Amino acid sequence: MGSLLKINEGIRLVLPNDLKVSSLQEERHVVFHEQESRTLAFWDTFEWGLWFGGYVLYSYGGVYHLCSREEGWLGAVICEEETGDRRRFWGDFETVSMRTALERTLGLRSLAMVVEGTFHLRLGELRNEAEKIVCRLELSSVSAGREGEEKLLRTCQVLPLRGYEAEAARVVEYLTQRGAKSSGDGPVDVLLRHANNEPQKYTLRPSFGLTKETPAREAIGRIVRTMLEIAVSNIPGILNDLDTEFLHDYRICIRKIRSVLSLVKDVYPAEGTGRMRKILGDLARQTNRLRDLDVYLLARDEYLGLLPPELRPALEGMFEDFSAERDIEVQDTTLKIRAHSNRKLLRKMAVYFSEETAHKPSSSADIPVGPLVFRCIYKRYRKIREIAAGIGTETPDEVVHQLRIECKKLRYLMEFFSELIPGEEGAQMLKMLRRLQGRLGDFNDASVQQKSLLDYWEHKKSGPDVAMGVGGLVSILYHRQQQTRGLIKQSLGEFCGGSTAAAFKNTFKLSDSVSAKSAQ
Amino acid sequence: MKIISSYSIKGGVGKTALAVNLAFAFREAGHRTLLIDLDPQGAASFYFRVGSAEKFKMRDARSMAEGLRRNIRESDFPGLDIIPSNLGYRHFDILLDGMAKSRKQFRKVLEEFRPDYDVIILDCPPNITLLSENVFRASDAILVPVVPTVLSRRTFEQLTCFFKDEELPCKALRPFFSMVQKRNKMHREIMGELPESYPGFLTTVIPFSADVEKMGLHRMPLLAYSHACEAARAYRALCDEIFSTLNPQP
Repeated sequence: MGSLLKINEGIRLVLPNDLKVSSLQEERHVVFHEQESRTLAFWDTFEWGLWFGGYVLYSYGGVYHLCSREEGWLGAVICEEETGDRRRFWGDFETVSMRTALERTLGLRSLAMVVEGTFHLRLGELRNEAEKIVCRLELSSVSAGREGEEKLLRTCQVLPLRGYEAEAARVVEYLTQRGAKSSGDGPVDVLLRHANNEPQKYTLRPSFGLTKETPAREAIGRIVRTMLEIAVSNIPGILNDLDTEFLHDYRICIRKIRSVLSLVKDVYPAEGTGRMRKILGDLARQTNRLRDLDVYLLARDEYLGLLPPELRPALEGMFEDFSAERDIEVQDTTLKIRAHSNRKLLRKMAVYFSEETAHKPSSSADIPVGPLVFRCIYKRYRKIREIAAGIGTETPDEVVHQLRIECKKLRYLMEFFSELIPGEEGAQMLKMLRRLQGRLGDFNDASVQQKSLLDYWEHKKSGPDVAMGVGGLVSILYHRQQQTRGLIKQSLGEFCGGSTAAAFKNTFKLSDSVSAKSAQ
Repeated sequence: MKIISSYSIKGGVGKTALAVNLAFAFREAGHRTLLIDLDPQGAASFYFRVGSAEKFKMRDARSMAEGLRRNIRESDFPGLDIIPSNLGYRHFDILLDGMAKSRKQFRKVLEEFRPDYDVIILDCPPNITLLSENVFRASDAILVPVVPTVLSRRTFEQLTCFFKDEELPCKALRPFFSMVQKRNKMHREIMGELPESYPGFLTTVIPFSADVEKMGLHRMPLLAYSHACEAARAYRALCDEIFSTLNPQP
């Protein structure tokens, strides 16, 4: 099928409904083969990772075909894999070529069917006096679903043969004179549009169309509404437990909204902001355990790889326990999210932050968001420097954890308002912050994981083999944590001094006059 | 890229049938194949329903390659292209004669096609000319169909003598038995004797077949219309044998 729909050579034409290509037979010697129909199911992730990565994946007759995407057309087949079963994640595929091609574009995302369409194909050959093929034709029409009657698009691909290009040019001329067009949407575009499922870019870091002069309440309102919309778009994926990233992204959106409400103060009335923050806190809390279990289970292979083979079987039991607990937790969490009370909370938030809702005045509501936020960013940066000054080899884990939280707050602010920050400096500052956060994250993960492993052991009271497995892993994680301390110190040095400090000061520290004016 | 030529001083031994079917077999095995019909009789071009090549000027190796490139025709079988025959190819000799290193120029011409093809098959005219010498020096394998008859044996012996006298690459010379009739006693005897004197003989044998003779009616390679007949299987086996001879496993 791939070869039949290939467009990386030849000329693609979209045909008007009333054009009969068979009329070509009246003037030229064309032989048409029997029509064949195939129903293809197209697959992609929630993020349209394949589509935007330049691929199309479809299945037909138990075979998955990965093709390059040429606009809305199927390009050359990159690899194929025969399977009777449904494949959800890249790791479910068996052939090396398919796994390699999909790993980068799918990541942790699962595949879901995005549309189904039936292609009716008819091949034709234009022959010369010696009966030699001089041009090939691929007539195709596509209809929606398995037995769609309505033809959504008719196309003809004219495939020249080397040395006989003039013949193909004549066919193209014949068809274009009768209304065929060489531009326009391809069959996959048309199918997706018909299914009302057109690919859309998905990001947790959208643009909000802000300028420095945007009034603060308008700016924060826009941010909250957008993030809330992204959070809600993830709910169906959580309820169907399609993959772990729906919950992950939902939690990030909630956390980011909560964070911006507390960092940029007095934009909405204090009482209302407090109520909204409580709702957000409640929503996040009900998913905590499920996310923890997801994190443990995603790290399964890495954990087991840290231990010598003889200690691994004991620890596999622990992951089975986690997996069983996750099954129960998924049911609990989805029940809570599905609950009427939960939906009411989300509705309340949507209403509160709606553009139509009138709120009482508050001190920062109408001031330009630029100076207000820059002050907040610089304040966070100074706070990080303060904590960093006290970090040493003996610093308790809690202080490092506090530093991590402060960095996260700074990162959220810088990402929300990235449109206001000069590009190059902003990118450099964020690069340094990301590096520091990465190391703080590793430190925190090692710390939390040790604790949860010991909690598991405490709670389970299993035999000595499990004790050895847990003990072995805790030792490795402790060692890893200590190593990370040194790296954190180094990253802090880079982040709190030198050119990064100068960049923060130059970008975010406002002169007293600007500061006073914006505060008025 | 491997260059394989189909050559015989004697006519009617299955030389063109070999070139045409071997080209098809290589293409079938997934190799991008170019068949160049150097024989002015143009039988290989006829079998693929391709008309004569257009004339082109040949001043040097580059313009010769460019002229040949302009004459590439895609066959009805994707992955197999042809440069059809042209009476003008008889001027190759004169052109080559005027060039420095006139016996090695053709390899240089064919090297220009390296990016586009895995295998080039040359259907050579049945004579010994400067072009033939060029083909011998350009080829990784020179396949010589030998019908197991006294006359064919004599012709083959003349060819090997010529190779030795002219210091041509004898190792590239790969004879094989063609148009073999198992029931023919003389065929069996010659097939028993000749390979002992010439160890380079390929083991695959192409049988005499009425199916091969029908190529002129079908105007396509035997492998395209009689996929599983004995002769088709033999051509495929010959393709495998040549391929493994040219690409020995470590």
